[in-house]
Amino acid sequence: MFALLKLIQSLFGALHSEGTPGQLAAGIAVGSILGLTPLVNLPNAVVFAALVLLNVSFAGGMLGWAVFVPIGFLLDPLFDWIGHALLFTPSLTPLWTSLYNVPIVPLTNFNNTVVLGSLVFAVLFAIPLFLAARYGVVRYRATIAGRVAQSKWYRALTTSKLYNVYRMFRP
Amino acid sequence: MSVKVFRWKAIGPLFVLLVIVAILWWIFADGIARHQTQTVGTLMLGAKVEIQDLHLDLPHGQVRMRGLTIASPHEAFKNLVQADEIVADLDVVPLTEKKIIINRVAANGLRFGTPRQTDGRVAAKSGRGIAGRVYAEARDWASRFQVPVLQLATGRVSIDSLDPRRLSTIPAAEALGARADSSRRAWQAAFDTLRIGPTLDSSSTTLERLKHARATDLATINEARQAIDRLKRARDRVTNLEQGVKKGVAALNTGLAGLDSARQRDYAFARGLLKLPSLDAPAVGAALFAPGAIKPFERVLYWVQLARRYMPPGLLPRATTGSPRLRRAGEDVRFPKERALPRFLLRSAELSFSLGPQGYAGRLIGVASDPAVYGRPTLLAASGPQLAAAGLLNHVRGTPLDTAGATVGGIRLPAFTLPGVPLRLDPGAATTELGFNLNGDTIHARFAVHSTNVRWDRDSGFADNQIGDLIWRAVSGISTLELEARVSGELHHPQLAVRSNLDQAIASRLRAVLGEQVAAAERQMRARVDASINGKVGPVRARVTDVESQAQSQVSQQRTRVDELQRALEQRLRDMLGGFRLP
Repeated sequence: MFALLKLIQSLFGALHSEGTPGQLAAGIAVGSILGLTPLVNLPNAVVFAALVLLNVSFAGGMLGWAVFVPIGFLLDPLFDWIGHALLFTPSLTPLWTSLYNVPIVPLTNFNNTVVLGSLVFAVLFAIPLFLAARYGVVRYRATIAGRVAQSKWYRALTTSKLYNVYRMFRP
Repeated sequence: MSVKVFRWKAIGPLFVLLVIVAILWWIFADGIARHQTQTVGTLMLGAKVEIQDLHLDLPHGQVRMRGLTIASPHEAFKNLVQADEIVADLDVVPLTEKKIIINRVAANGLRFGTPRQTDGRVAAKSGRGIAGRVYAEARDWASRFQVPVLQLATGRVSIDSLDPRRLSTIPAAEALGARADSSRRAWQAAFDTLRIGPTLDSSSTTLERLKHARATDLATINEARQAIDRLKRARDRVTNLEQGVKKGVAALNTGLAGLDSARQRDYAFARGLLKLPSLDAPAVGAALFAPGAIKPFERVLYWVQLARRYMPPGLLPRATTGSPRLRRAGEDVRFPKERALPRFLLRSAELSFSLGPQGYAGRLIGVASDPAVYGRPTLLAASGPQLAAAGLLNHVRGTPLDTAGATVGGIRLPAFTLPGVPLRLDPGAATTELGFNLNGDTIHARFAVHSTNVRWDRDSGFADNQIGDLIWRAVSGISTLELEARVSGELHHPQLAVRSNLDQAIASRLRAVLGEQVAAAERQMRARVDASINGKVGPVRARVTDVESQAQSQVSQQRTRVDELQRALEQRLRDMLGGFRLP
C-alpha cells in the first residue's frame, strides 16, 4: 500500500513539477534502466548517481524504476537469451575477453547473461521510452493537468510528508 | 532559456550516501566475506563450510580465518578437514579485475576426519550444482562394478522346485515301453507265421510209424526222411526268428541303458537348480573387500572430477550458472586470456597438519582456475614420519592428467564389517597406499592396506551359525592383512580386481563346509529325480525284460522240440538201416 501510494505521489508529483517534459521523460528513461537491470550491480550505481547528479526529474526516475521492476522480472528470459547470444557471438569474443581482463570492468558483471542482456535492452529501450514519455507529458499538461491540480485529492496528496522529501530533488 | 545539466545540490546527499555505504562496509565487511566464503565454499565442495571468524585486512592484503571446518561430502558426521588458523596474503590490485590472487597461504593446525555433530553433506543430499552432479557421477561410476555377493547369512544352499515335466527320463521310458510292446507284437506275429506245430505233429506221427516199421518199408523210411527235411527247414526259420529276437532284445537293452543315461542327465539338470555360492578365492576376496575398496577410488575420483570442473583445460569461453539472486541467475561466462591472470590463483600454500599424534608438513603450489592461463600444473606434496604423498593436476593441455600417490603408515584405520560374513575386522595401525592416475578418461588406480596386528570380532548375531564358526576359526588366528585393490580401464567401463591374504583361507573353509552341504543337497535332488522317474521307469524296465524273456523262451522251446524230434528220427533211421545209407 505504501509503495502504491508512493508511486501515485511520484507520478503526479512528476507530472506537475516545474521540470520540462524533457527532464521528466529523461528521468523516466534513466529510472527504467534501474528497473530493468538486476539492482545490485556496478552499472546501476553509476545510473543512480547520474539520476541524482544530472538535472533530470528524480521523481520521474523513481517512477520509471517502480514501473519497470516488475517488467524486468517478466522479461528476464528475454534478457538471458540476448545476453547469451551476445556473449557467445564468436566475433565479439575478443571484445569480451579484453573487457574481462581489464580492471574494474569485470566488477560490472557484464559477463552474466541476464546483466548484459538487460543492460543492452534497457539502454536501447530508453531512447523510444524517452520520446514517448516526453510526448505523453506534453499532451497531459496541455489537456487535463489544470483540472487535476485544482482537485481536492491532489492537494491532499501534495501536502503529505513524502511530497516534502520529493521536493528536495525536484528539477 | 538555458537548462542546467548538473544538480550540484545533490552532491552533498550523494556523498553522505557514499559515507554511509563505506561505514556499513567497514562494519559488516568481515561478516559478509565470511558468509560469502561459507556459501561459495559449500556450493563448490558439496559439503558444509563453516568459519568461526574471518578478518579482511585489505590495506595489508591479508585475510585471516580462524576455526575453518569443511565437512566431508561423503560421510554424514565427519569433517573432511578442520583448521585452527589460515592466513592468506592477497594481491589487492587484481581484485579490481574481480580476480583473487593469493600469493601465499599458511594453514596451521589442520586435522582430518574429525567427528561432527550434524550432517554436513550437501551434494549427496541435494544433488544440485556442479558438486551435486559430480557426486552423482562418481556414485554412478562406483556402482558399475559388479561385486559378487556371498549369501552366507544362514549358510544354507537353496534348492529350486523340480518340475517333472522337464526330466528327460520319463519320455524316454514311455518311448521304450511303446517299443517293447511293439516288439512283443512283431515277434508274436513272426512266431505264428513259423507254423512249427503242424510240422512237429506230422513228424511225431512219422516217428511213431517208424518205430514199428521194418528196414524194407521204404515208404515209411522215405516219409521219415521227408519229415527230417521239414524239421530242418523249420529249424532254419526258428534260427532266423531267433536272430531277429536277439537284435530286438539288444535294441531294447540299449533303450534300457539309454534310460540310465537320461537319468544321469536329469541328475545334472537338477544339480543346476541348486543355488551354490562361488567358492573361488578371487571371488571371495572381491565379495569381502570390494565394497570397502571401491570407496577410496570413488572419493578420489570425486575430488579429481571436481578439480577438472573448476580448473578446466583450454582457453575457450566457459559458462557456469550465475550467482543466485531474486532475479533470474543467468549464466556467468568466463573469458580466459593468455598471459593474463586467472580468475583464481593460489601460488603457494604451506600446510601444517596432524594425523593422530604425529605432526606433518605439506605444500600446495599453483592452484589456478584457468590452468592454461597460468601455464603450470598444480602440485601437492606432504611428508613426515611414515608419510609420503604427492599429487599433480595437469590441466594445462587439452587432455587433463591427474595423478596422485600416498603412503601413510601407523594410522589406525576404522574397523569394518565384512559383507556376507559374520565378522568385523579391525586393521589396527596399518600402512595404507593409494595410487591414482587419471589420464583423460583412462584410469589406473591402486589401493593397498598392510597390517600386522589385525583384530577380529565376531558378530553375535551369528553365534549359532556353523559357517560363522568355521570362518571365525579360519581367520581369527590370522594377524596380518594384505589387501590390494586395483581399478583400470576407461572410466565408463572400469575393471576392478581385489585380492587379499584372507581369500584363500576363507574360501577353503567355505569349500569344506559348503562342500558337504552341496553333496547333501545333491543327494536330496537325486532322490527327488528318482522319485519322479522311478514310477515310470520301473514298469517299463519290467515290461522290456518280460518281453525279452518271453520271446527268447518261446524260440528256445520250439528250437528244442525241433532238434529233439530231428535227432529221434535220425537215430531210428540209423538203427533200422545199420549204418547203410540209402541213396
